[in-house]
Amino acid sequence: MDGKVIVVTSGKGGVGKTTVTASVGAALAKQGKRVAVLDMDIGLRNLDVVMGLENRIVFDVVDVIQGRCKLRQAALKDRRIENLYLIPASQSDEKSVIKPQNMTWLCNKLRREYDFALLDCPAGIEQGFKNAIEAADEAIVVCTPEVSSVRDADRVIGLLYARSITPRLIVNRIVPKLVEKGDMLSHADVVDVLSIDLLGLVEMDDAVVVSSNTGNPLVQQKDSRAGMAFNRVAMRLDGHPDLPVEDPMAGRSFWQKVGKKLGRKDRTAKR
Amino acid sequence: MTFHSLIKKLLNKPDSSRNVAKKRLQFALVYDKLEVRDDMLEDLQQDLVEVITRYFEIDRDALSLDIQRMEGSSALILNTPILAAKHRKEGGARAHA
Ligand SMILES: Nc1ncnc2c1ncn2[C@@H]1O[C@H](COP(=O)(O)OP(=O)(O)O)[C@@H](O)[C@H]1O
Ligand SMILES: [Mg+2]
Repeated sequence: MDGKVIVVTSGKGGVGKTTVTASVGAALAKQGKRVAVLDMDIGLRNLDVVMGLENRIVFDVVDVIQGRCKLRQAALKDRRIENLYLIPASQSDEKSVIKPQNMTWLCNKLRREYDFALLDCPAGIEQGFKNAIEAADEAIVVCTPEVSSVRDADRVIGLLYARSITPRLIVNRIVPKLVEKGDMLSHADVVDVLSIDLLGLVEMDDAVVVSSNTGNPLVQQKDSRAGMAFNRVAMRLDGHPDLPVEDPMAGRSFWQKVGKKLGRKDRTAKR
Repeated sequence: MTFHSLIKKLLNKPDSSRNVAKKRLQFALVYDKLEVRDDMLEDLQQDLVEVITRYFEIDRDALSLDIQRMEGSSALILNTPILAAKHRKEGGARAHA
């Protein structure tokens, strides 16, 4: 059966596309799938560093497209996780060296070789973005609970719909304490404004920074709430579409805390 | 209103920065969608002139087409002098109306 090509995009930079691509890719591979993650940020590669593979690059995605190597030669095997491969971006080319028709060709090859291919999209909505969404089957839109990020997400969602792709949303960098104080948009606010299906909710988590320092996969850290959230996203993408999205606010409201102190075990999500 | 939701309301005042953010966002998204590209406006003008000249003789150069923005809504304003009405023959498009 043919695999799926999923583009990870956001409009705004710095909201977590690369983190999502690396972590969800790793989580899908842990579940036994054959996974490729592709850095489509031509000229500004960084998925390789996040995954700790920066010293092993020989060929890149532009080499594949221009026929200088085979897809398999450019795919770097992950050091820790079986069945996970990185196809890095080229560091010296410009985004315009890739044309939309190249993407159609590449995505067809990816579907044949892998169960899942995740494309880490560059920021913006220009050529690099257009290339990344050109031949994708599905899309994950990432945003943070901030006005500018949600606004950009809305724009990108519109552009995806125009290409007949119905995206799903990951809200990243949620700080439950701030939401509780009334100083951060809640995920319910974001979903309400964007009216789009939710794929995952990820808290702000120091482990994300630590993992990107060391290049060790976040999803292998059992005590990381963000890592666990990404594992659940991967389950939703692969075989468990109805796995409920865990509410980071669960068990945080004043009355639930009092309840817990009194020994009640009610941790259902209320908003 | 339960005691619980009253407390919640007091804790989460309507002017919390979270609520301000949500309102600003909702306005920004509506506003963004009202934005129209210039070339689209030009195409629309051509199409409109084509339709109007089936019914009226107009001064094409004096015609103006604009979008006027108001808070939360906007209007398409077309202004054109009419030189003469065209007298259509029996059996025209509207004969059965
Ligand atoms: N859930 C999170 N908690 C803490 N830091 C995060 C989280 N998600 C992303 N970051 C950090 O935010 C920065 C931007 O993330 P990145 O994935 O590179 O965004 P993008 O690819 O969209 O530009 C990185 O330094 C990353 O470590
Ligand atoms: Mg990135």
